[in-house]
Amino acid sequence: MKHCTQCTAQIEGDWQHCPLCETPTPGEPSHSPFPAIPLNYSRRRVVRILFFSSIAVILGSFAAQLLLERGSASIGSLRSVWLGVITMWLLVVMAARNQRNIAKNTVTLVLLVGLICVYWDYLTGWHGWALSYAVPIVCGTSILALLITVRVLRTEVGEHIVYSGLTVLLGLAPIGFLVFGWVTTPIPSAICGAISIIALVMLQVFRGADVRHELAKRLDL
Amino acid sequence: MTRRNWVRLDNASNIFLAARSETDSKVFRISAEMDHEIDPELLQTALDTTYDRYSLYHAVLRRAIFWYYLQDSDLRPEVTTDNQYTCAEIYDARRPGLLFRVVYHHRRINLEVFHALSDGTGALWFLTDLVAEYTRLRYRQQDLPENTDTAQLTAQPGGGAEDTQARELTTDSFRHYFRGKQRPTEHPKTSSPSMSPTKTAYRVKGTRTPDSRTRAVELTMPVKDVLALARAEEISLTMYLTALFFESIRCAADGLGKSRTLAATVPVNLRQFFPSVSPRNFFATVRVEHTYGNGPDDIGTVGRALDRQFRPKATPEALEKKVRRYAKFERSPMLRIVPRPIKDVVLRVINWVNNRGLSVSVSNLGRVILPEPVESHVGRMGFHVSAVRPQMCAMSHAGLLTVSFTSPFVETDHIREFVRMLTSQGVDVSVAATRVTEAEFAEDSEI
Ligand SMILES: [Zn+2]
Repeated sequence: MKHCTQCTAQIEGDWQHCPLCETPTPGEPSHSPFPAIPLNYSRRRVVRILFFSSIAVILGSFAAQLLLERGSASIGSLRSVWLGVITMWLLVVMAARNQRNIAKNTVTLVLLVGLICVYWDYLTGWHGWALSYAVPIVCGTSILALLITVRVLRTEVGEHIVYSGLTVLLGLAPIGFLVFGWVTTPIPSAICGAISIIALVMLQVFRGADVRHELAKRLDL
Repeated sequence: MTRRNWVRLDNASNIFLAARSETDSKVFRISAEMDHEIDPELLQTALDTTYDRYSLYHAVLRRAIFWYYLQDSDLRPEVTTDNQYTCAEIYDARRPGLLFRVVYHHRRINLEVFHALSDGTGALWFLTDLVAEYTRLRYRQQDLPENTDTAQLTAQPGGGAEDTQARELTTDSFRHYFRGKQRPTEHPKTSSPSMSPTKTAYRVKGTRTPDSRTRAVELTMPVKDVLALARAEEISLTMYLTALFFESIRCAADGLGKSRTLAATVPVNLRQFFPSVSPRNFFATVRVEHTYGNGPDDIGTVGRALDRQFRPKATPEALEKKVRRYAKFERSPMLRIVPRPIKDVVLRVINWVNNRGLSVSVSNLGRVILPEPVESHVGRMGFHVSAVRPQMCAMSHAGLLTVSFTSPFVETDHIREFVRMLTSQGVDVSVAATRVTEAEFAEDSEI
């Protein structure tokens, strides 16, 4: 074993210098109880910087839209390209931060895409396509996709039930669009509302106890 | 559907989540050194057996609106080589996994545990069972106890009844404690970090390690030599080591400047007074301090002064009072209706205020006794904790005392002083350190 003449102590491992006082250590190296694990500061820090700078650019881009004139007159199709690119970027960042919980990801996705579409529609002159088509279609297909996915992946009921429930509740929103007359075509909203109501009834009938159990757990005071 | 068991995480454990940071993962490691190179396959088999006995260790940590909770899982632990730096993060909110890991390196079996799951004593039980099972598999031909279950419970002081039920993640007992009308002090299942107002103490400063990993230095020495030194000063081993630690910090800092007070927090295992076989967190902390420059400051005087402060605070009555006060705080309706993220912030502030009054942490798991004939195959055992401030952890086995130092800093000056004070009194000390700087790694590759 190596030793330090200044500390008069044995040094385990293959230290050329005493880890405490840096005096050169004579003697034969021995096994250290601690393996030398290379430094890994670079990756973690880079990932975090990329994430936060991406979010900053994305939010900045969305905000910058307000400075430009509304409607298609000023920058025309360029705006749609810009919005398309940053939306895509946002979704990629979200996917990279992916949680394992598929239902939770779906809720986030529906909310993000829905809000962006409404904003987009507003910026391009409010033709009503977001509320008439985009939001109901995204909500409706998400519910169907989620119902299929959790079945195929055999996701545990407790894992997804609360977020599945939230997705279904979001699907009820288009019924409100119909009631307030915000839509140009009623069919997509009607279909989405119907899917949500059916899903909600099914949840209540088949999974009512599970939903209550999970909610009791998560809302436990 | 299989409805999983779950228990709400008590606030004492919550503080570990709130206080978790990039530099302090709130993970601790307990190691046992065997008399041979570890056989990974046997260790895996032993782990599978041990794991099945500890339902608590099956738990994953989940987030609810108002609390964190532990939930049963179907995950299986896997033995790996020691391929991450010591006390690397275990809990990741986005990828819930088991809250412990078992790794091996040459002759060592290391158990790393996220502190919200279990405390040192609880983890030591798990490691003891694991090592006993592993030894039984390894030395099959020899006469070893067939049933290693609860080996630790009969061997460890404070273990008591062979009640393996208590290691389970049972909803009922937990809810009973937090919701029932029963006086909490009859079965206190929780502990508390110090909540008393504290004055500020000297804070150790240093250079953070490049990738925020914990610097660990482990000292090994014959326990009888150090005990003799402590007895000569007529103080307990823990307080002797604490006094030595204070003196080392003072020497390394070249004087303490304006703040002449050094303060340490010392966890006390509550199981010794309130028998419990639950491996969940069950300790309370005691704060001791010494102000330099008011009279003699030699090791003996400081140690005796610390001892005088420590003893009255570490009685069952004093600890019960403290735990009770904390339990009351925890049950207050004001705190209960606060959503979890805000609770985290509140606890973080409490923790920050607490930290201002602390220079170092000291923890002693004491002498470990393993069931014969496992005992003879295990050499030194040690433990250390990821640390936000310099920390010292002591533990003894097989006649060897291991004193482990951890800190978020590169500097090891206080450890050098500590070692030299011991070696100058004729104690044989062996030093094992983790590499944390570029220069240290460069030196390693030269060979
Ligand atoms: Zn040295």
